[in-house]
Amino acid sequence: MTARSGNSVYRRRWFEFLTPLGQPWKLILGVSIWVIFFGLWEIAVLSGWVNALLVPSPVNVLTTLYELFAERGFLSDVGISIARIVGSFAVACAIAIPLGILMGSFKAVEAFVNPFVSAWRYLPAPAFIPILLMWFGTGEEPKMALLFLGVIFFLITLIMDHTAQVRAELIETAMTLGGSRSQILWTVVVPAVLPSVLIAMRQMLAIAWTYLVIAEIIASTTGIGAMMMRARRFLNTDDIMAGILTIGVLGLLFDVMFRWLYRVLFPYLDQGAR
Amino acid sequence: MTSATTTTIGSAKLRLQDVSKTFQVRHGDDIEAIKGVSFETPENEVCVLLGPSGCGKSTVLRMVAGLEEPTSGDLMLDGHPIAGADRERGMVFQAYTSFDWLTVQANVEYGMRLNGVPKKERRERAAHFIELVGLTKFSQSYPKQLSGGMKQRVAIARTLANDPSILLMDEPFGALDAQTRWHMQELMMSIVEAANTTVLMVTHDIEEAIFLGDRIEFMSRHPGTVHEEIIPDFKRGKRITTKEDLIGLDGYGDLERHILKLMREQGGDDTDH
Repeated sequence: MTARSGNSVYRRRWFEFLTPLGQPWKLILGVSIWVIFFGLWEIAVLSGWVNALLVPSPVNVLTTLYELFAERGFLSDVGISIARIVGSFAVACAIAIPLGILMGSFKAVEAFVNPFVSAWRYLPAPAFIPILLMWFGTGEEPKMALLFLGVIFFLITLIMDHTAQVRAELIETAMTLGGSRSQILWTVVVPAVLPSVLIAMRQMLAIAWTYLVIAEIIASTTGIGAMMMRARRFLNTDDIMAGILTIGVLGLLFDVMFRWLYRVLFPYLDQGAR
Repeated sequence: MTSATTTTIGSAKLRLQDVSKTFQVRHGDDIEAIKGVSFETPENEVCVLLGPSGCGKSTVLRMVAGLEEPTSGDLMLDGHPIAGADRERGMVFQAYTSFDWLTVQANVEYGMRLNGVPKKERRERAAHFIELVGLTKFSQSYPKQLSGGMKQRVAIARTLANDPSILLMDEPFGALDAQTRWHMQELMMSIVEAANTTVLMVTHDIEEAIFLGDRIEFMSRHPGTVHEEIIPDFKRGKRITTKEDLIGLDGYGDLERHILKLMREQGGDDTDH
């Protein structure tokens, strides 16, 4: 009798070490936690355990979300928020990627720039809000600047670290094949580090969303955060919840987009890679 | 200067004279890793650096490659001093160095691309060397799809296609399983014959050294230096293509025993210290 022959020999239990779960069960369990969450929430509101004014029911939030988009022009707020994120993040990347790669490649660049960058990393970006408001007023500039400051120094550091981790043998191979420094930089270091750069961008974009909301809540009349602050004044908790939901879904969409981009840009890396 | 009296057949391709390398340590005395290494490699020969771990054989190879600067001494290739890495001394490493983002074909073309070889010639040379290492079927595959032995074959083809003056190899088969390793050693034998290259190779595998080496520089440690130059005379004039050919020859057993004895004497046991 072989061990594989009978299910009867091996017991199947819910809680088992080192045993993978089948795909359908993974999906069912993943969905059920949300069903339970929204279910309990709905029940709590309907049964009057919580104040419906402060905690609107999930159904209420979803209807409000629909109204926001369909009747109250919420789409332009969402568009403005996305434009702010994409714009300032693009500027941050345009500086951080080349600089980080140079710092990770050449010790002289690292020795010159890193003391400056590390110091900035310990200054929380929101600390600059008062001065940014004084310098730029309430236009787009202070929001862009806050997003930029909140992201760039971490992005530089991450990319520098990833570049420094490009395996020495790859660079030395190119050296013994006759590569010049610029050839090696462009044909070995850059392609080797690019997948890690994309992962770093994905991680930092999530942080950028945090700063966007802070900026829009504090000093803005447009954008998702501003809409939520307006709603607070009129005790429209359903609007606020709908805003939170929108931000969550947008963050998820951007994450999915980056994962897709990773697969499209680096097909030569196994599917198993992050 | 007197120590460099190895047998010189014509003019040596590669010549090391009294090469030393000292590493500076932050606390304590400097470490003399290599001291007074002198040897010559004639053209079209396979020279093997063999010795116990810690004898500095890889450091010697890296100095020949130009990846590490000697503290003192002369390293000459084709009569010119070695000053930094260049295409004349192509190196194959123990760790896999295929570029993941390039196909096998593009990997093998890579060196030629750096050096401005025209596209058509690049294609043809790459195809030739890919065939030589038996990877024609995989020329459009990416390295992630290849086994360890195949990745090393890509690295060898890439280096040879770039037409170096000498091929350097740092324990190239050290990471492979036993069966793949002797396949690769036999492949290497046929490649060296076909491509007519001079090779300097580092290994700690005695059988590999005797199989591939036209001469063996046995290194001892503390500090690392050439202890004995061994020329496996018993192979002379014999055509050896497989491991069985080698083991069947008179004199193989004696030489292996001799080198094993050297290894025991020189290698010792690290726990003794």
